[in-house]
Amino acid sequence: MKNEKVPSEKGFFAWLAKVLGHEKWNSVTVPIFTIILTLIVSSIFLLILGKNPLTAFYSFLAGNGFAAKASYGAGNGMLSDFFAFLNIMAPMLLAALAFIFAYRCGLFNIGIAGQMLMSGFMATILVGYNKALPAAVAKPLVIIVGLVVGGLLGAFVGFLKYRFNIHEVVSTIMINYIISFLTGFFINSRYVDSITRSSKICSSAARLTCTKVLIGGYYCNVPLGIVVALIMVFVVKFIFDRTVFGFDLRAVGSNRNAATYAGINVGKSIIMSMMLSGCLAGLAGVTYYLGYTNTIIPKTLAGMGYDAIATALLGNNTPVGAIFASVLITIFQNGANYMSSTLGVAKEIASVITGILLLFSACSGFFRYLSKNKLNRIADEKRALERARKEAESK
Amino acid sequence: MNSEYIVEMRNITKSFPGIIANDDVTIQVRKGEVYALLGENGAGKSTLMSMLYGMYEPDRGEIYIRGEKVVFKSPSEAAEKNIGMVHQHFKLVDNYTIGENIVLGIEPMKKKFGIFPYVDMKEANEKIAKLSKDYGLEVNPTDLISDVNVSIKQRVEILKMLYREAEILIFDEPTAILTPQEIEYLLKIMEELKKGGKTIILITHKIEEIRKIADRCAILRRGRLIDILDVKSTSTQEMANLMVGRKVELTTDKQPPKFGKTVLEVEHLSVYDESKVEVVKDVSFKVRAGEVFAIAGVSGNGQVELADAITGLMKAGKGKIILNGKDITNEKIRQRTEDGIAYIPEDRQKYGVLLDFNLRDNLGLRKYYKPPFSQNGILKFSEFESYAVRLIDEYDIRCGQGGLTSLRSMSGGNQQKAIVGREIEEHSPLIIFVQPTRGLDLGAIENIHKEIIAERDKGTAVLLISLELDEVMNLADTIGVIYSGKMLKVADASTLDSQAVGRYMMGVTEA
Repeated sequence: MKNEKVPSEKGFFAWLAKVLGHEKWNSVTVPIFTIILTLIVSSIFLLILGKNPLTAFYSFLAGNGFAAKASYGAGNGMLSDFFAFLNIMAPMLLAALAFIFAYRCGLFNIGIAGQMLMSGFMATILVGYNKALPAAVAKPLVIIVGLVVGGLLGAFVGFLKYRFNIHEVVSTIMINYIISFLTGFFINSRYVDSITRSSKICSSAARLTCTKVLIGGYYCNVPLGIVVALIMVFVVKFIFDRTVFGFDLRAVGSNRNAATYAGINVGKSIIMSMMLSGCLAGLAGVTYYLGYTNTIIPKTLAGMGYDAIATALLGNNTPVGAIFASVLITIFQNGANYMSSTLGVAKEIASVITGILLLFSACSGFFRYLSKNKLNRIADEKRALERARKEAESK
Repeated sequence: MNSEYIVEMRNITKSFPGIIANDDVTIQVRKGEVYALLGENGAGKSTLMSMLYGMYEPDRGEIYIRGEKVVFKSPSEAAEKNIGMVHQHFKLVDNYTIGENIVLGIEPMKKKFGIFPYVDMKEANEKIAKLSKDYGLEVNPTDLISDVNVSIKQRVEILKMLYREAEILIFDEPTAILTPQEIEYLLKIMEELKKGGKTIILITHKIEEIRKIADRCAILRRGRLIDILDVKSTSTQEMANLMVGRKVELTTDKQPPKFGKTVLEVEHLSVYDESKVEVVKDVSFKVRAGEVFAIAGVSGNGQVELADAITGLMKAGKGKIILNGKDITNEKIRQRTEDGIAYIPEDRQKYGVLLDFNLRDNLGLRKYYKPPFSQNGILKFSEFESYAVRLIDEYDIRCGQGGLTSLRSMSGGNQQKAIVGREIEEHSPLIIFVQPTRGLDLGAIENIHKEIIAERDKGTAVLLISLELDEVMNLADTIGVIYSGKMLKVADASTLDSQAVGRYMMGVTEA
């Protein structure tokens, strides 16, 4: 009989279930749990390779300016590394926000990479190659071009979905290819740098990252994009949590039929959410191609456009969650080089770790389910025991 | 051990967090009888049968099959003891054929040339054909599941059990989704199964079916066994009283109607579905203030499309819809609600509520975009909250955490109360109810019927579309009968009896 078992109310697993199944806190505890799991599993990996996992994790942090490296080149320091980290994190965060914006309305924007490339390309040729523009004009102009180009592409996808019922995943994948080859053609035929074989670099006035700024005696690349990204986090959060427009989008994402019934214009919502998702992807594009780098490699989509999907999922599809997720994923990806040089392992191990992290974060729902189950079982056993005790007393 | 009984469940107790689903329930079923479990939603009928079917284990109590004590750890162990269950929600693979669905999991395997294994569908289909002939379950084994209607899907589920040589058949609310004719057909099948020596346990809250088919009936209320009755010697009213635990009124008291001016006018309305088939054909009628205009009809005769066309969910093909003198035929949905149409849709989870949202947001679904619920596009949740608190109280919506309760966690009856409350609070001149009591228990039905009459007495025009003839007869001031998209008859309710309406529902115009 079940009742004869010792109640499993105490013990590690019961405690874990309580922490992960907590109504209010599971949105925080579950991601932390997945991170801990990732660290444990990747440690095993590193141990098999004969490397000290602690050294590895330390060098990931050091590579991003969160910890001190053993030595620095002239004019470089922790601060330079930290700014380099922010520089790559900014487009990642924006791209993740782009995904979230569409996802909340029930749409899967897989075209972020293409939208990034197109807006980066347009901003480069329209603003980046115009040497006459002063920085105060060029930088805002770059942002505007990013917003407009990304937004138009997104709106086009939304329109195709609304008008012709073409699934956004199909159309965005196809548009990604079109953009990749189209921009590649123009770069190769008109804007190519004959030595690097990529596009000519954009003017530093237009670039959203200020290079070699002297801060505290160190040369740092200061990204303006991170400011834009953090502002966007709160703009997106505000739209979804507090506005009628956000309510409409969430309703459409949750149940299209009920949204129609409530009088929401579903077609307009789809186009608007795809357009704003595109705008955010456009911002990611200009901070990537005219910030993190200053050139475009032809016929190559940024892997970030796809990594952003995973980042968004890791962050539970919430804007604030996306901040933490993009910090974490950027630490692994950006720290890979330094980790690889200090440990002497291939830098692809960083991709393996990111993969493990994503795998576990995809299991979040399952962890929640398991802990809820466990809690229910404990409650069951408790009641059964109590009843048995009462019966014994009455006898 | 007394093995007069094929199934015995003794002193079964099962609890879930916060609720005792079954409390010391004992039932004994004889071989070859139809045994009904009657009770309101949440009375513990399905839980009890889930234990017999091996989905759950009881906390306490024992189960005996043919006098032998059993402990089921899973449904497959129950299946070994020849127990089968037809669930409320079918478990079929849409893009497999009927035959493939039936053999799924126990496929008759053969080897071509002694090496290459393949499923011998020919043999399987022959066996299925024989079974369907024996019990009058007409199916075509080579049809795809996605192409057949719910009634046939249900037959497939029954065949699945028979194919597995089930002797004890559990039906969980089998008629909830069927039309009256399909119900007749199902009851006939059950009769055949009984003749074939099968034992049937029927979970239901419809007393009518029990009267027609069951031998004995156990009544459950709030997890406890209230009584076991012999169906032949018990009156319907008596059963209903035992089921809900107090006297219920099967008919709603109402004053004679006071008709006001015409609120809704539908003129020569035709509606076309996605494949351009005319599903509503040239329908005209009027609904006056203070009137319950009920549209009776068998499911799938265009009534849902008619309601959708009036509310704007579907486009009107031809004709006019006039609300309070204003032509709204081509208005947007939101404009129509503003003009004064409240709508309780048939499929409440698909249309009526946002399951991922909380109760507060769902109650505000008609008002959130305008003051005081929002200003300049910014939502004001304090308004939502106080509005929710008032509606929860007024409409007796049971919810665990007030306005912040997630809709998904609420029972169907309470979801419906929330929808009805929300729509009534619009104080619209016209309210459209489509199947407002579908899947609800007697207590909840009574409640909603009272709300409908109360609205009528306040001078609201009520358009009621229902598949339940009793509901129509009980509430209507005027009855319209719809058959294959046409309004076959419109008459004062007092001039029609249920038999006449039933005839029109079948498309018979001559008495």
